[in-house]
Amino acid sequence: MLRKDHLRVSRAGGGYRPAFVDRSHRPLAARVLGAFEAAVGDRRATLDDRLETLEAEADDFKLVRGLAALVERECTFETQATVPPDRVRRAAFEAAETVGVTGASERAQAVDRAAAQLGVEPDIVDADLYADRESNEILVDASVRFDPDTLLEQYNLSLAQTALFDATEVRVQSVDPKRLVSAVKRLRLMYELRVTDDGDRELLVTGPDTLFRRTRRYGTAFARLLRSVAGTAEWRLEATIDDRGTTRELTLTDADVSVPDVDPVVEPSFDSGVEADFAGRFRALDLDWSLVREPAPLATGSRVMIPDFSFEYAHANVTYYFEVMGFWTPAYVEKKLEQLADLEAVDLIVAVDESLGVGEEIAAHDHRVIPYTDTVRVKDVVDVLQEYETTLIEAAADALPDALSPDDDVVELEALADRHGVSEDALEAVSFPDHVRVGRTLVRPAVLDRLESIVEVGTSLSTVESRLKEHGIDDVSATLSWLGYRVEWEGLSGGTVRERA
Amino acid sequence: MTVRLSYEAGTIRVEAEDDTAAADEPPLPPLPGVEADPRSKTGRAPAYQYAAIRRALTVAGVAVDDCVPVWKQTAPNGLSLSTAYELRTYQQAALTAWHDADDRGVVELPTGAGKTVVAIRAMVDRNVPTLVVVPTIDLLEQWHRELETEFDVPIGRFGGGEQRRETITVSTYDSAYRKAASIGDAFGFVVFDEVHHLGGEGYRDIARLLAAPARLGLTATFERPDGAHEAVTDLVGDRVYALDVDDLAGDHLAPYDVRRIEVSLTPAERERYDERQETFLEYIREAGITFSSGEDYRKLVMRSGTDPRAREALLAKSAARSIMMNAEQKLEQLTELLDRHRDDRVIIFTAHTELVYRISERFLIPAITAETGATERRTILERFRDGTYSRVVAANVLDEGVDVPDAAVAVVLSGSGSEREFTQRLGRILRPKSDGGRAVLYEVVSTETAEERVARRRR
Repeated sequence: MLRKDHLRVSRAGGGYRPAFVDRSHRPLAARVLGAFEAAVGDRRATLDDRLETLEAEADDFKLVRGLAALVERECTFETQATVPPDRVRRAAFEAAETVGVTGASERAQAVDRAAAQLGVEPDIVDADLYADRESNEILVDASVRFDPDTLLEQYNLSLAQTALFDATEVRVQSVDPKRLVSAVKRLRLMYELRVTDDGDRELLVTGPDTLFRRTRRYGTAFARLLRSVAGTAEWRLEATIDDRGTTRELTLTDADVSVPDVDPVVEPSFDSGVEADFAGRFRALDLDWSLVREPAPLATGSRVMIPDFSFEYAHANVTYYFEVMGFWTPAYVEKKLEQLADLEAVDLIVAVDESLGVGEEIAAHDHRVIPYTDTVRVKDVVDVLQEYETTLIEAAADALPDALSPDDDVVELEALADRHGVSEDALEAVSFPDHVRVGRTLVRPAVLDRLESIVEVGTSLSTVESRLKEHGIDDVSATLSWLGYRVEWEGLSGGTVRERA
Repeated sequence: MTVRLSYEAGTIRVEAEDDTAAADEPPLPPLPGVEADPRSKTGRAPAYQYAAIRRALTVAGVAVDDCVPVWKQTAPNGLSLSTAYELRTYQQAALTAWHDADDRGVVELPTGAGKTVVAIRAMVDRNVPTLVVVPTIDLLEQWHRELETEFDVPIGRFGGGEQRRETITVSTYDSAYRKAASIGDAFGFVVFDEVHHLGGEGYRDIARLLAAPARLGLTATFERPDGAHEAVTDLVGDRVYALDVDDLAGDHLAPYDVRRIEVSLTPAERERYDERQETFLEYIREAGITFSSGEDYRKLVMRSGTDPRAREALLAKSAARSIMMNAEQKLEQLTELLDRHRDDRVIIFTAHTELVYRISERFLIPAITAETGATERRTILERFRDGTYSRVVAANVLDEGVDVPDAAVAVVLSGSGSEREFTQRLGRILRPKSDGGRAVLYEVVSTETAEERVARRRR
């Protein structure tokens, strides 16, 4: 975090965008680091003068101050004095009291007196009198953890945090929602689950007092939250900013800000062996379902529950959530059951350790139950998914017209299914009045007519292949077969077209 | 039906436990400040409404499961506080007025009239864990010392590098702002010294987030030009008692004289001043800034972030101000004053920290600024009080309410012209003197500068 008066934002187009730095600022970052290194052994005031020179030369003095503040935090300054300055002051002020200092000669007299009492030369009294003032401290160590690149990375993070000081609420999406929720709680903030227009789930984060008024009181807590959020590989944070009475929107993502020296969390770690084991075995299968770890927060009462997994279907925007319920403690089971009872309306599959004996209770809340002992059998889950898939295919097929007339002369069923956002199976019940179905390809009769005039007995396979390719047909054997030919093979690859028997 | 109240991070969570609701039970009355919170699916109110909510529930005859007053658990039998202070007539009148207003409200007394004593008496009467909130480190020290002497319990403190909570705790406004949401259920009584600070946008949160039903505000100057004292009224209570400086002068306060001394810039200083001032004026003329409102200055500061010329103009203005503040003639004048008052106790004020240190080094006078550590400032003030030191130079950190007994002479080397600051600085020397001598305040200003206009405005 930076001081608020070092914040640099652009309000172009009514937005609120921190002025992030990039590689073009490396020379400046290097000069700031250099100024500190060169000032080792000097007073802080001397360092400040040098930084001020840099400020005057750079086009943006706030940028220089921000970078310098980050470096300064890592440096060590020390008071260097022969006699502790507070003792010097005491002696000097007492001596001045005795002498009654108004002019220069009285002052010299008092200094001599104080020096005699301290047992030092008079010039030491002058030198040490305020050696402990901050501006007189000596920079003794400027070996910092930054190089120019990490300094810029830290600057961007700190700048984004500072921009949040005036935030009244933030909305966050993250690949690690558990970490997000626990950070929100730790910072004594509150959250509400929201579903965006795009169907994404996000947490709306506010503070207790926000209920009554828009307040910037929680700005620093939001800034700390960003530090947590930015430690993951994929996230998005939107904030509403109270910019001196004007409301502005700020959007930050993993493309803007990261945390120096921290590897971003790509996927949350597993919290039980049963889950890790299941994920490994499921992903080894090549299904139309992809498995996502701790996918999104779901609303349950006034809190959220983050299921272990979700299954996302490749051919449609469909998500099934999957929770593995093992035996931990009675309190855990109790809490889980409560969560499941209050859960919002989503499709949830729960794998339940049979020894818990709670399967029926869970099923009563309309969740799909898969019992298991020791490990969750992948086959049981796949069976359920296939059941869903059948339903999905039927639903997709129902949604398709009875007949389709694509514009293409030649089109593969797979491509057509993709175009309609359904699986190939869903096209089974559809008729194609303008096309002939040849294997897994739809071909217009006119194209087939043309092919008939090209292919004849005795044509070499390679010629046929290249002619068919010109018409966009890959499936040679199905086409030949439809035309009433077969291939007489010669060796491994070559062949000749013959009449089909 | 039972209503459950609990304290949550600066708010009161309100849950009606409906399960056992019988038909003949009274319905839940509208509760002050309570709103539905979709996040917790409960009712919720800002913590300062706690007393009003309790009252409304009691009036309606609703059973309450009240988990808010944690302060009752820390001291179940009260604190058994006592004090030897005898209240003066007007102090007693102030205290009675406060009690009559349900132990809420603001007492306005001039500096030096013994506001602390009124608060100590109120604490004895309330007998519950109490938080005292003060604006400066010096006042933190002073209250801490005072309460430790008076009461037989440990006194905690938030601020000045220490964060220790006790049943009676003194805090700076800054620390209280940061901690309010986490300690708001630990104190049944809160005293705001120099309560006009609470009018500031951020500090308001302190009173807002505390649940303490009893609230006492102390100040010498309640009304703020920006009308922010109305917010204080909402959060602490009405002004229940006020006494003017003139009501007290002669009685309890020493009479004082004000002398204004004009000095001029040396020719060299004048030249440098004019040059800087011209740079500044040239820019604002070109930019068409009129300074008809405070807003204009803020705009200029904002513009300086991106416009190097605006920044140059601001730096020039600040250099000009520094030349004026540090005018050599002022130090010459100070030399004369120190010479004239060799046998008097003298306190010197200036807003400019660097000038404080120049004076300290030149005349070898102890300095108190924001940089001075807590121990050293305590030592300096003690030694000034016991006579070891007869002179002190201070930045504005001593602006309010700190006891500097018997100082006969004050010298103000620069002034911002704000009414409040001026009276409170005056208050520094308005202490009853043992020998009955008149106190004197010198105001030293440079002529023909903006500073002079500030001083003229006060007449």
